[in-house]
Amino acid sequence: MEAPDEQLMLAYRDGSAGAFETLYLRHRGRLFRFVLRSVKSRATAEELFQEIWMRVIEARERYVPQARFTTWLYTIAHHRMVDHWRRGGLSLVELDDQDLPGDSPDPARQLEAREALARFAQALEALPVAQREAFLLHEEAGLSIAEIAVATGSNAEAAKSRLRYAVAKLKAAVEDD
Amino acid sequence: MTDERDPKVSQRYRELGSEEPPTALDAEILAASRRAAETRLAPLVPPTGRRRWYFPVAAAAIITLAVAVTVHVERQQLDPGFSGLRSEPPEAKKDGAPQAELRKAKPAKPPATPQPLSRAADAMQERGSADAQPESRVRSAAEAPARLLGQVAKADSPEAALERIAELRRQGRHDEADKALAEFRRRFPDYRIAAEMLKKVQRP
Repeated sequence: MEAPDEQLMLAYRDGSAGAFETLYLRHRGRLFRFVLRSVKSRATAEELFQEIWMRVIEARERYVPQARFTTWLYTIAHHRMVDHWRRGGLSLVELDDQDLPGDSPDPARQLEAREALARFAQALEALPVAQREAFLLHEEAGLSIAEIAVATGSNAEAAKSRLRYAVAKLKAAVEDD
Repeated sequence: MTDERDPKVSQRYRELGSEEPPTALDAEILAASRRAAETRLAPLVPPTGRRRWYFPVAAAAIITLAVAVTVHVERQQLDPGFSGLRSEPPEAKKDGAPQAELRKAKPAKPPATPQPLSRAADAMQERGSADAQPESRVRSAAEAPARLLGQVAKADSPEAALERIAELRRQGRHDEADKALAEFRRRFPDYRIAAEMLKKVQRP
């Protein structure tokens, strides 16, 4: 059975570098995508991603498992993202280089799929920051509404409302296809 | 966990891709984590076994010492032999002698040759004891209130103690009289002070 995140973080706090590596490999992909879909460029996303993990490393001595590690990690990420947004960098990564789903040989269908995905990406980009963050925390990071509230420093009602608005707008974008 | 996901939205979101950080970035972050782990500070784990007694015992010892020192200092303030309580002679104040002059009147070391004495010393010289040496008179004047206060503290009878408190009041040394009166009340809690005497010993 795999060690829980909180146990790994405590082990890292007490000097186990291996525990951090396990923890990092477990969360790197989700956190990276959360950051990538909240900012303007991949380079910025990489920079922010690294800074978030550096803050985790710096905060290890103060770590106390009061909530899930994931909530703690995304709370740190939220604060870093807010700093970034305040400086004006707000958009989504371009989709030009993305691999498209499916392997249809039909160029028309490929184009259609690309356009559908672009519309979805635009709808996601058009969401207000708080709604998009709530959506990404739920969809990508797997946080519950209560955990989103903790991570974003809001309350459960606000988190739920943001998430519902975000999903409704994105659903409308999907159904337009 | 309440799931607010919509299947179609989730599917479309997944189609955006599953990007991951570059391996070079992974290596940098992991290297930083290892460096931090190697240079970590003292562990924050709570002390176990015998060590858990260290902090409470040390705290108790410090508190006991602080209380003992405080009580000791308070008692010494009422002791005439305690040099720390030497205060200005009342005569000097009455004369309006400046503090600088008063300090000159009681030098730390006796001068090699007799220097002109301060007005405070002169005033005392005029009040009698002309045969005494001026320097010793100055010291005596400085010690007088402390001695009087000590006498109040150690007076045998309540009446004698009250007389000395009244004397302090007459000299205008109200702070010391207050202290002496408080000490008196502590020593003789059941003693009823006559109305006339009460007027003399209470702060006007």
